[in-house]
Amino acid sequence: MRIVVCVKEVLDPDAVNNYALAGRLEIGDDGKSLTQAAIPRLMNGFDEQALEAALRIKDTGVECSITVVSAGPAPGDILKHAAALGADEVASIEVDPAALDAHVIASLLAGYIRTTGGADLVLCGRQASDDDQGVVPALVGEMLDLPIVTIARAVESGDGGWRVTRVTPDGDEVVAVTGGAVVTISNELGDPRYPTAASKIKARRVKPTVVAVSDLGLSADDSEPRVAFTKQFVPTIQGNCEFISGDSPAELADRLIARLREDSVI
Amino acid sequence: MSSNEVVVVTWGRGGEAFAGEVDDILTLGRGVAAATGGALNWLTLGPVSDTIRQTAGTYGVANIDHIEDAKLAEFSADATVAALAQYCEQHSPRVVLIAQGFDVRLVAPRLAAKVRAGVVMNAAAVEVDGGGKLSVTASAYGGDTRAVYEIAGERACVVSVLANAVLPEAADAATTPAVRDFAVDLAAVDERIQVLEKPKAEGPRLDAAEIIVSGGRGLGDAANYKLIEELAEALGGLPGASRPIVDDGWVDSSHQVGLTGTITRPGLYLAAGISGASQHMAGCSAAKTIVAINTDSDASIFRYARFGVIGDCLEILPELIRAAKS
Ligand SMILES: Cc1cc2nc3c(=O)[nH]c(=O)nc-3n(C[C@H](O)[C@H](O)[C@H](O)COP(=O)(O)OP(=O)(O)OC[C@H]3O[C@@H](n4cnc5c(N)ncnc54)[C@H](O)[C@@H]3O)c2cc1C
Repeated sequence: MRIVVCVKEVLDPDAVNNYALAGRLEIGDDGKSLTQAAIPRLMNGFDEQALEAALRIKDTGVECSITVVSAGPAPGDILKHAAALGADEVASIEVDPAALDAHVIASLLAGYIRTTGGADLVLCGRQASDDDQGVVPALVGEMLDLPIVTIARAVESGDGGWRVTRVTPDGDEVVAVTGGAVVTISNELGDPRYPTAASKIKARRVKPTVVAVSDLGLSADDSEPRVAFTKQFVPTIQGNCEFISGDSPAELADRLIARLREDSVI
Repeated sequence: MSSNEVVVVTWGRGGEAFAGEVDDILTLGRGVAAATGGALNWLTLGPVSDTIRQTAGTYGVANIDHIEDAKLAEFSADATVAALAQYCEQHSPRVVLIAQGFDVRLVAPRLAAKVRAGVVMNAAAVEVDGGGKLSVTASAYGGDTRAVYEIAGERACVVSVLANAVLPEAADAATTPAVRDFAVDLAAVDERIQVLEKPKAEGPRLDAAEIIVSGGRGLGDAANYKLIEELAEALGGLPGASRPIVDDGWVDSSHQVGLTGTITRPGLYLAAGISGASQHMAGCSAAKTIVAINTDSDASIFRYARFGVIGDCLEILPELIRAAKS
């Protein structure tokens, strides 16, 4: 059985938040990239949890190989990190992401899966923490004609397919699919494991399989972007906070409640 | 090739539930249609109620397109995507607008793939320039930035729109929309996902709450979350939470407010011990009044708050519970 996990390299979202909070988030001369070169790049958090979901399936004794694939710029450490965590194979489709959109990225990933023997399960994070779009998994599913199960907290093998627990606004939903599927993982899966020191050292020597785009059998339509990312800006927030004053917690509370009643908020 | 029509799509929750939930997206649609020079239509999968007719007229909708099929009676992603794709193939709308929600995150990109359209989620604005070029502004980095996507050539685009992206505004002249039935053939559709256990919806949902009291890491300890529950109850609202305390197991994930939790739009949102990270605010900045309690006077949450209390929430919450009850 083969599980393919799709991962993306992103800017550390906590660092981006800190720059934003300090009012120091800036866009470069190209009008669309963040300028902070000091922000570390890492594996998108939900993707790391997708890999964790794959490892948990393996932990239960399911005979499977785990392939981690990334389409984007020459990957830094994220594929080594994946290898250290226990991926059996790591593969890199090196492309310039600035010129691509979700459709082309999905074509590359689907093409990779198709030309390397297919997958019994494709796992992705529910969305990337940079563009927040979360559309690539559904596009990959459509291209491979696989059912797509979104926003999962648990995936188990069973009955010739998969049993998936989804996190819905009404609570957990348990669904089953027969055969292959694309499943997207949400943070409710829980914390991913850490690599051991020994596995980290071993992973340093791991070389990702470099995939040539020309080998993926893409059509002209597969490679034609539907949308172009042209601009990025930092929105301004107009604050107008009225601070409640008081000498004690009781006084602060009384004044706040009185103020809310005065404005008919409560 | 697409026409220059704009279609707003809704489904699945009967007629009445739409009241007040589509006003913003219809307003957005009318503006886009004016710019593309096409008609604004409303496609609904389900019965056309009087409320739908009235709302459509108020917001200047030209046609109410109506699809009904046994396979759409309960939400099925495969059937919904197939029905929408058949509609799009026949009508070739330039822009498909859907209010973002849980199922839309799946349906929008799947539809786009089927009809070879572009897709943009988390949209806050849609613009059409003089040359007919379509661009969509979407929230990114949890709300820290906005990204602008230009749709290639004449392609159609499926746009999933954030709640409260635009202020509802009735059309200058109300319309009397024609209702057009659209027949779909879903015979070949066999939902591939089988539901084994349905979610057990317990009580009212956060996204419908008028008052929400939320707690974050500033509560210090799981046991202190009961202060949030008590204040929510005293105010007649529901308790919410930031993601870290959900991840740490203090509360169930159904309470999570934010980008990847529930998107809420209450009258009052009271946040205690929450810093106001963009990913949290993505789920509550549409609240009419935000109140923040935080020890740090520089906390980001105060930039969004109407009222602020600088102080220890563990001391202030018990007093608020008392004052709210009096
Ligand atoms: C892709 C992605 C998606 C995310 N999705 C979500 C989401 O959906 N929802 C969400 O909430 N977060 C989400 N996050 C996380 C988000 O970025 C923040 O980390 C999180 O919201 C912070 O939670 P917090 O405010 O409770 O904790 P902190 O940021 O740690 O803030 C705690 C606050 O409490 C204050 N405080 C401390 N002690 C007290 C006290 N005694 N009394 C009063 N105040 C006190 C502190 O001053 C501080 O402001 C997401 C992050 C990423 C990267």
